[in-house]
Amino acid sequence: MRRVARSLILHELSERTRDRWVLVISLLFAVLASAVTLYGRSAGAKAVGLTGPSLVTLASLFVPLVALILSHDAIVGESERNTLGLLLSLPIGRMEMVWAKFIGRGLALSAAVLLGFGSAGIFAGAVSRQVLWPLLLPTLLLGLAFLSLGLLLSALYKRQVSAASAVVVVWFVLVFFYDLGLLGVLVISDGAVSQGVMRALVIANPAGLFRMQMMEVFLGTQGLEQLGMTARVPVSGVLAVLWSAWIVGPVLLSGWILLRKKVI
Amino acid sequence: MKSLSLRDISVRFGEVQALDRVEISLEVGQVCMLVGPNGAGKSTLLKVLLGLVRPEQGELRIDHQMAIQDYAFREKIGYLPENVAFSENLTGWQVLSFFARARGVRKERIEEVLRFVSLEHAARRAVRGYSRGMRQRLGLAVAILTEPMLLILDEPTGGLDQEGLSVLWEVLRVWREAGRMVLLSTHDIALLERRVDQMCVFKRGRICARGTPLELREMAALPIQIYLTFDDEKVVDRLRTSEVLSSWMTEAEEKKDQGLFQVRLVIPSRALLDYFQQQPLFSSDIRGFRMEEPTLDEVYERLLEMF
Repeated sequence: MRRVARSLILHELSERTRDRWVLVISLLFAVLASAVTLYGRSAGAKAVGLTGPSLVTLASLFVPLVALILSHDAIVGESERNTLGLLLSLPIGRMEMVWAKFIGRGLALSAAVLLGFGSAGIFAGAVSRQVLWPLLLPTLLLGLAFLSLGLLLSALYKRQVSAASAVVVVWFVLVFFYDLGLLGVLVISDGAVSQGVMRALVIANPAGLFRMQMMEVFLGTQGLEQLGMTARVPVSGVLAVLWSAWIVGPVLLSGWILLRKKVI
Repeated sequence: MKSLSLRDISVRFGEVQALDRVEISLEVGQVCMLVGPNGAGKSTLLKVLLGLVRPEQGELRIDHQMAIQDYAFREKIGYLPENVAFSENLTGWQVLSFFARARGVRKERIEEVLRFVSLEHAARRAVRGYSRGMRQRLGLAVAILTEPMLLILDEPTGGLDQEGLSVLWEVLRVWREAGRMVLLSTHDIALLERRVDQMCVFKRGRICARGTPLELREMAALPIQIYLTFDDEKVVDRLRTSEVLSSWMTEAEEKKDQGLFQVRLVIPSRALLDYFQQQPLFSSDIRGFRMEEPTLDEVYERLLEMF
């Protein structure tokens, strides 16, 4: 990796960790994760079954939000401040710049996730190994997928305010309404949509994939069936491909959009 | 890098011909100013040079050899974008540190540059507390960090107060004396007149006039006003008898309180100034002489009308 890209990664990390919105939401996530863990610990033997799913719900709400806030202005923000041209006047390629921004902001996101789970870990005690460790990597993958989506939106829009509006819509759609939409499809179709299609639709959304993956970890397949969920988490190879596609795809697309731009 | 030229550059944005076969060239120690109305193509040309706009046609030549805006070229340039706004969360020092790391510049140079742009007192303050002029000076600091061979400044006078302008004049002086090159676009023509070697006037994507400010004054052929004061009315009468000079004489008035006579002559163009100065009439008897040349802004307006 070249000097400019390395410097940009550090710069992005340093700058993003100073963003007050990122700080506020990360701290809120840390406080709520700690509270959930503390409450779960009091459940004694049921602590894992109670704390795990609660943290999954919490992470699936907050981590995508932090990620989208972190990345929505990555390109459009530079463009509005007239610093995109300045950055690209340095010896760095457009695609390389997009990756450097993604990595830098990804590190800031990882810091936010670690802050949340780290503070929860203080209160978790013995539950920590069973709950927090299995959650860590999938939560980071979830965050990186949404970070990548935010980056794509920042490359697509010409105004930062439009990109900000778009990330709010994306967050609501993928995190809140997607599952409701699938439920609606099931009800309307009266079961005509096959289980395979439903399963594909659930895991087509990174938030759905994350929830499914973690529920299976904490509740097991039998636990899922008791909840009426027949969808299964794909085998690890498919899982790796899906997460990679969600993370790498939008970043590549952002770089491609920037490469195709005639005017910076 | 001793010379640089852009040849035959054409850029089209949809229906708009942003640049139409534009050519510019720069030699070491030269400061070139691009002027023109908004949308005339000045910033687009700067961006073509930076590789931020892809032209339909044209070529870059460095030392008369074909070149591209590769990483080696970009190492040699410093750029100040128009209305640059750095991240408000960072301090001036942190902004410069990033560019210094990215450019492989030692930390001592940051201190030097901060002193040069008179921002050393504000270096540890967040950019959000900077005035517009301070932000512009920070942008200038970023541009000169590596002492680049070519400095590209887009509207560098924007938001600068007198202190900021002094910094900019110093940058232009140092770059010229060090045998480097500066290419800038501006609307503050009069401010920069004495500090540039070459001026290109843009109109609808073309360069309609180019040359030194003096050459452009001659090209515009705008009248020059001369105020002469005599203490002898006979000299005024002699002026009236000269066929050419009388035609330039617009008014003559007597300053009664001091017993002086003042005459205003309007010389049709700068090219006739030599003729006027050769008149024997003015070798003596003159008590006062004042010449009012058109401003470079007026010259620029005239050139835009002419072409």
